[in-house]
Amino acid sequence: MDEPVISVKNLYFSYNSVPVLENVTFDVADREFLAIIGPNGGGKSTLIKLMLGLLKPDAGQVRVFNKPPAKVSYCFGYVPQDVLVNKGFPISVFEVVLMGRLRHHRRARIGGSDREAAARALEIMGMRKYENHKIDDLSGGQRERVFIARALTIDPDILVLDEPTASVDTGGRAELYNLLKDLNRTRTIVVVSHDLMVMYSNATAVACVNRQLYYHDKGEITQDMLDLGYQCPVELIAHGQPHRVLKVHEDGS
Amino acid sequence: MIEALQFEFMRNALFAGLFASLICGVTGSFVVVNRMVFLAGGIAHAAYGGIGLALFLGIPYIIGTMGFSLAAALLMTAVTLRAAQRSDTFIGVLWATGMAIGIILTDLTPGYHADLMSYLFGSILAVPAADILWMLGMGAAALALTLYFYRDLIAISYDVEFAKLRGVPVRALYFVFMALVAVSIVFIIRVVGLILVIALLSIPPYIAEKYAGSLGMMMAVAVLLSAVFNIAGLWIAFIFDLTSGASIILVAAAGFFISLAVDPLISKRRRQ
Repeated sequence: MDEPVISVKNLYFSYNSVPVLENVTFDVADREFLAIIGPNGGGKSTLIKLMLGLLKPDAGQVRVFNKPPAKVSYCFGYVPQDVLVNKGFPISVFEVVLMGRLRHHRRARIGGSDREAAARALEIMGMRKYENHKIDDLSGGQRERVFIARALTIDPDILVLDEPTASVDTGGRAELYNLLKDLNRTRTIVVVSHDLMVMYSNATAVACVNRQLYYHDKGEITQDMLDLGYQCPVELIAHGQPHRVLKVHEDGS
Repeated sequence: MIEALQFEFMRNALFAGLFASLICGVTGSFVVVNRMVFLAGGIAHAAYGGIGLALFLGIPYIIGTMGFSLAAALLMTAVTLRAAQRSDTFIGVLWATGMAIGIILTDLTPGYHADLMSYLFGSILAVPAADILWMLGMGAAALALTLYFYRDLIAISYDVEFAKLRGVPVRALYFVFMALVAVSIVFIIRVVGLILVIALLSIPPYIAEKYAGSLGMMMAVAVLLSAVFNIAGLWIAFIFDLTSGASIILVAAAGFFISLAVDPLISKRRRQ
């Protein structure tokens, strides 16, 4: 069997002695599209920060290509939550994308090859024509594409996105998921979302996080996950295609 | 204005104002975009403890204030990075503690200390030539550091989580730049006094941010605006025989309110 890209074993984490994650164990295979879902405050963002090596676990371990994640941070393209960036900061789209190349060659400065990489990444995301716009002047969906472009500047093996559709309208979401599907051909993708739409277009595995983690290696949610993960039954509209999001109702009603 | 420049103290004041503008525009922009205006205010006021200490021990003003404001800056930055939610309370406490220490140490020092007012409200007309050279050096240092770490500064100001992942030494940079702010404040106290420092540090970058397309542009515009405020304030103070520090700040404040009034007009025009 292939080595997993990311391997999480018996992971525990707490903020100020309040447990956030308990005994989390799962693997992410190469070219997987893992959707991490769960309620707000359930520990989704904390889990990916542990996977990225931005936080240190209380117990247990995270291995990325069999190494501690902080040692291989160049493998990660990271798209943080939109709400965490400094709104109103004067910066152009191109400068945001250039940020992706920081410390790429152990120097504080940015050079010509970095500018080329930024331009290429903008091209991939179809945002080249906006490169001189101020980032605040873009729509939520356009901004998200720019953040993905920034993550792609180092051609990462793993793309990690935290709530990429939080400020994107419904039409934009579908487009964004299609883009991610394309990117998934050449790299592993981990998406945190409480938008269940992520599942039925792309996901090859689903993990539901609510302090504990419930893993399902197909792109569908089981009723068990919903009950355990959300602590109450969740009504879902079964879109059916191409993945079922709900198990088939037994009584035909 | 030209005749005023025949006096050496006016020439010194003009240079002090210009160099202070360079320092304020560059470090002030970093302070404003990182929402650390309150922290900068805390550093400035805690510096009063250093003034009292210098008076009490009979050591040069620069050494006392520099020590105090650097210590305050590093403590406040450490708390802000560690427990951001309640750091404002801590800053407020250090702010008041520094001032109280300054006042008590002054009480304990025999003699009459009329010149203390000049630290509160500035005395740009009495800035010695040596201090002006110091200010020039500081401005150059601030500019050099900013240029070298320019991309890192953008990253930690815009998206600190991403900067961390890319291996930017976020904490170290915050400490270095807040130390730079502390040292800057010590020199700007000479010009407008510690009570008014915060206005000169925050108003020009605030106005500049709205029109600038990048951090570098914001800094450049802030330096220019600050220079205009300084020269205009100095000129008004000279003509009407007013306190120079307060005149400079009132000009800056006028600029601030005019920019607020102009804002709706500009956004209206953009939409059309």
